Amino acid sequence: MTATTVPAADRRVLARPRHRATPVQALLVLAIIAAAVIAAFPLAWMILTSLKTPQETMQVPPVWLPASPNLDAYAQVSDVVSLGRSFWNSAIIALTTTAAIIVTSLMAGYAFAKYEFRYKEALFGLLIATMFLPPIVTLIPLYRITGYLGLNASLAGVVVPNLANAFGIFLMRQFIKGVPDELIEAARVDGASELRVLFQIVAPAVMPAIAALVLFAFVYHWNSYLWPLTVLQGNAEQYPIVISLSRLLSYNRGAMNTGLVMAGATLAVLPPVLLFVILQRFFVDSVVASGVKG
Amino acid sequence: MGGYWGTQARDEHTSMHSTQHRSAITMLAPATGLIGVFILLPMLLTIWLSFQSWSTQTGFETATFVGIQNFIDIFASNSVGRDFKAALVNTAIYTVLSVAIILPLSVLLGLLVHQKLAPGGVFLRTVLFSTYMVPMIAVALVFSKLYSPTEGPLNQILGWIGIPPQTWLSSPQTALVSIVLLNVWQQVGYFTVLAVAGLTQIPDSLYEAARIDGANPVQRFFAITLPLLGNTLLFSAVICIINAVQVFEPVALITQGGPVNATNVLTFHIRRVGIERAQGGLGSAMAVTLMLALIVAIAALFAFARSREGKTQ
Repeated sequence: MTATTVPAADRRVLARPRHRATPVQALLVLAIIAAAVIAAFPLAWMILTSLKTPQETMQVPPVWLPASPNLDAYAQVSDVVSLGRSFWNSAIIALTTTAAIIVTSLMAGYAFAKYEFRYKEALFGLLIATMFLPPIVTLIPLYRITGYLGLNASLAGVVVPNLANAFGIFLMRQFIKGVPDELIEAARVDGASELRVLFQIVAPAVMPAIAALVLFAFVYHWNSYLWPLTVLQGNAEQYPIVISLSRLLSYNRGAMNTGLVMAGATLAVLPPVLLFVILQRFFVDSVVASGVKG
Repeated sequence: MGGYWGTQARDEHTSMHSTQHRSAITMLAPATGLIGVFILLPMLLTIWLSFQSWSTQTGFETATFVGIQNFIDIFASNSVGRDFKAALVNTAIYTVLSVAIILPLSVLLGLLVHQKLAPGGVFLRTVLFSTYMVPMIAVALVFSKLYSPTEGPLNQILGWIGIPPQTWLSSPQTALVSIVLLNVWQQVGYFTVLAVAGLTQIPDSLYEAARIDGANPVQRFFAITLPLLGNTLLFSAVICIINAVQVFEPVALITQGGPVNATNVLTFHIRRVGIERAQGGLGSAMAVTLMLALIVAIAALFAFARSREGKTQ
């Protein structure tokens, strides 16, 4: 190991096959490939299995590559659980919570970043503390509260308790702090109301943070399982995709068709992973911001 | 709301403050109201219910005060107490194992992503982080197949390198560890990104100076990298602990807490008691105990971090 920081010239060397890589470089590349292969393996197995025939999925020892890849499992999976309906439910849950979280977080984040008012620090601390509260701690009374509000067994019950969250407020405050006061003052001088200032001046200035929060909120609520399972009380019509998937497994126990389960899982994984690939730059930045500046 | 610049008659300073006050209320009302009703109020109710006998299927008005009886029950030597204590111990083991595997691994992978010697760091970060986007329920489904003793590829791979087949999820000795590994696979990418953020903060000049002093890479890691990652690791540990106590999907989906209670963890157990069996008082006492255990664990972690900081300075 010769150096920890390498000038750009050395990096160019790697691209040219004429020059031999040092043993350290070769080892590092091997380690990176090994880590990436291990990380990708379960997902690759999931996709490969979804393309196998039922016989292939039950073979001992397991076959890795389907002899003739086919999409039969994808065609069949909708017969077992109403997949279209579940996808629709998941989309409604993820999109409405995300939209609301963006608005509520921008508003509260703006107040905490740019206003001075009494008990500001105390209120901020109280809200942020909820970020560290495991949902199970509040699950039992929350289930009763949504019952009182007539929300149980409905999609509204899944959505309404999640329209605001502490992480969003924290993230927005961090980024709105960096918006120059002069920009805000200028808009006020022009007679803009505070809500206009927020949504027309401040929000466009923190677009990367908003993109990150869109991804965070969408993925979290697309994937969320514990609360929908509890509040929907077995109303299968309203099940999001993740709950329908778990029902697919219990169906699968009798039918022994692993391919079906893997096809369903592949479909459920697609929206959050695709969104991540599109917005990943912002997500990494926001994780860094919440970790370092926090 | 409304621009305070229009209210010229009043002293600018007081005007600014009162207008800001009103605007602050408007801006904070939605988020504070929602978090208040759906998180803070339930938190207070959980504490109140932990001292009540109450069925989750009835209104709060049917609760009757029983003092600390719920806490006595969940620590008693009957089946209620045995199940809860098993869940508490399982959760503690699960949490300690998760932190003990994820943190060192995240630093190791973070170094791989951060290094500039060889290409591929950003690619690795993308692959690792994408696993964090996968719904836990899909992770559980896929791993239940990977772990399958006969049709799963993991035992096959172990066989190639001469390791006997493992029981994975089907035996009490290995089931909990198998769920920890599944959790590590899903979460390590997030903690790697945190580690990289910490590594980026360490100035290169420190490494230059150490190299001039003749420190080898291993010495540099223990003298510079690890101590300066302290705050990052503390933050990672706290998040890792809070994530670990939330483990639910693999247990609910695959093991149902078994075999023989080996994977009965608190989130699963509290929901089973408090929602499915509708024993709201007992479930709330368990939730309060979990909360207290978390506070103690995190306070101990901070005390440990501070004592180490004191030693190195």
